[in-house]
Amino acid sequence: MTEPTALAVARNRAVVMAELRRLMPRMGEERKALPFSLAAIDSHLPDGGLTCGALHEIVPAAEVCIAAAFGFIAAILARLAYPLLFVMPAYGLRPYRPHGRLHGHGLNALGLDPARLILVETAHRKETLWAMEEAVRSAAPAAVVGVIDTLDLKLSQRLHLAATDAGLPVFLLRPAPTLESSAAATRWRVGTAKAARDRFGLVTQPRWHLQLERCRNGRPGQWVVEYDHVAHRFSLAAALADFSRARGAGEKSIKQAS
Amino acid sequence: MNAAAEVSGLATGDLLADARAKAEFLQVRDADPAADDTALRRLALWATRYTPTASPWNEANGADGFFLDIAGSAHLFGGEEKLLADLAAKLQKKFGLPARLAVADTPGAAWALSRFHKTPLFVLPSGQEAAALAPLPIAALRLAPDTRATLRRLGFKTVGMLLDKPRAPFAARFPTELLRRVDQALGRIDEPLVPIVAPPVYHSLRYLLEPIFTHDAIIAHANRLMTTLVHVLTRDDVGARGLRLCLYNVDGAVEAIDIGLTLPTRDVAHVARLIALKLEALAATCDAGFGFEAIGLAVTCAEPMPARQTELTSVTDDGDRTERCASLIDALRQRLGPHSVRRFEPVASHLPERAEVLPPLDGKATAWPEPEQKPRPLLLLPHAEPAEDVTALVPDGPPRRFSWRGVTYDVTGAQGPERIGAEWWRHREPKPTRDYYLVEDSGGHRFWLFREGLYGRETAAARWFVHGLFA
Repeated sequence: MTEPTALAVARNRAVVMAELRRLMPRMGEERKALPFSLAAIDSHLPDGGLTCGALHEIVPAAEVCIAAAFGFIAAILARLAYPLLFVMPAYGLRPYRPHGRLHGHGLNALGLDPARLILVETAHRKETLWAMEEAVRSAAPAAVVGVIDTLDLKLSQRLHLAATDAGLPVFLLRPAPTLESSAAATRWRVGTAKAARDRFGLVTQPRWHLQLERCRNGRPGQWVVEYDHVAHRFSLAAALADFSRARGAGEKSIKQAS
Repeated sequence: MNAAAEVSGLATGDLLADARAKAEFLQVRDADPAADDTALRRLALWATRYTPTASPWNEANGADGFFLDIAGSAHLFGGEEKLLADLAAKLQKKFGLPARLAVADTPGAAWALSRFHKTPLFVLPSGQEAAALAPLPIAALRLAPDTRATLRRLGFKTVGMLLDKPRAPFAARFPTELLRRVDQALGRIDEPLVPIVAPPVYHSLRYLLEPIFTHDAIIAHANRLMTTLVHVLTRDDVGARGLRLCLYNVDGAVEAIDIGLTLPTRDVAHVARLIALKLEALAATCDAGFGFEAIGLAVTCAEPMPARQTELTSVTDDGDRTERCASLIDALRQRLGPHSVRRFEPVASHLPERAEVLPPLDGKATAWPEPEQKPRPLLLLPHAEPAEDVTALVPDGPPRRFSWRGVTYDVTGAQGPERIGAEWWRHREPKPTRDYYLVEDSGGHRFWLFREGLYGRETAAARWFVHGLFA
């Protein structure tokens, strides 16, 4: 008596599962991700890296860290091969004071070929959002980066859905002191850290203090990473002893100059 | 001189006092040639519904009419007579303008006949210019007043009297203008017309029974026009790179919307979408008024577009992406403006602010050089900003402390200097040399500072500036 019922249930379950799989094709397949190739960070992220079809928020830790935030985005994107689209407001990074614009030679120095960049200038926030969504939906660039100061939950959901459909990574730089909740998959707070220097006291690799504040299906954490622009590789910065060496090296260079 | 003026006995060339005496109700305004010119251009634009090549008359032609090149388009209106009748009726009804129209093989003959022929609407059969012009007065040749006066003094009253005579004496005694005008009227030499808008490569026009107002209706009609154009484009193996959508308003105004494309296209849906975006962007300025009674779509620039095989493998993914990128850029441009989409281009200059430009994206790409070992900031400030309270151990050494935008930074490491001299060939006055330092403070913020002027040689008190931020 019990056995046929169990069998029926089992068979039924198989049918139900097949139907569910059919309805949700995205469930089974592996989602693409941009790995940091750093076990310490990748283990905190759900897909072993930054999920491709998702919205990621990058927040500078302070106004003066804005370049570090841009640098972090550039470092992630430098490994992608196809055209990249930057949507930048023509009025600057409000509410921050003007910090100029991206410098092609600086991007080049970070290992991101400026010839691959498409720069879109917008007059106001509405245009920025429209241009970003348009770019994401077209799935033409390999990644879309935008600068937006305020963004409500609904609009961020919209952008996130567009990113999921297109399978593109979308990065939002948020020059905002306070942040409202959003649909982004991750939120990074990027601060500066003392750069890695060689034995002559010259800066070799930039270092950033990364704080993974929020991460859906992942764990928050914080790290100090350094970025090698030649190999396009992140690595964890060595222990604090290195800082003291850098300080000594800095003073040495001053002495040399004097 | 309109009919009312003729009834009152006024004539061209009357003195103002005489004219006032004849018609005491006369109101006087200064002539405004610029406004006349604008009005004439508007009228010529309106007339592009008959043919794409409309050319308003310049000063030498009297500046009170326009030429239409109706070769090839007359049959669309049921022949030349019907076209003339339609044009005259519309001018009278829409603008209240009584018009004199003539059709001839040469612009010169048409000009003369429209002015001096007995009937206001006249079509000259081909090859009869000489016979038709013979009875007309000398003024029909568009000559300068001096030449006209001389001819009258010599007793030449009609064009026919001139045509009978041998050419050599005229060539010797008159400016070249006389024979040139005669030859132009008779079609012996060409008279180029300058069209008001560049004649399109392909053109499609649709008259509407009812005026339309809404964007949706405009897009739907544009869609159909593009569908008809696609057949011709496919036949000639070309794609459109520039399009112009002309909206003919019921009140006679014409709205022209230009659309540029990054790659040649024959895609109806893509064009319709670009038009929709452009209309959205123009919503504030483009006024439907009483509605649009006709819509024209012209291909202003066509480029070869070889047929592509439908791909069977995914090898062409790269080409596919290029195409998608091009259509994305088109869409962004329509909505955000033609200069909104840019690319980075290096310039061979050592001055950081001159080392790159951001031209609008145009399909070309300039390869960037390999990055140099010299540090370059990720963000370059729009203008170098002065750094205050700079202390340095020695005057020409790196800074130990500085403040910028109200915050003081303690420098823990400095790298430099990198000396960048001014470009002496660009300035008459010598500009000071700059010594750039990469400076890191105790918090890890990295700045690009420079000291202006060589200490002791170019300046006594060096000034410091912040020029960029490093990642």
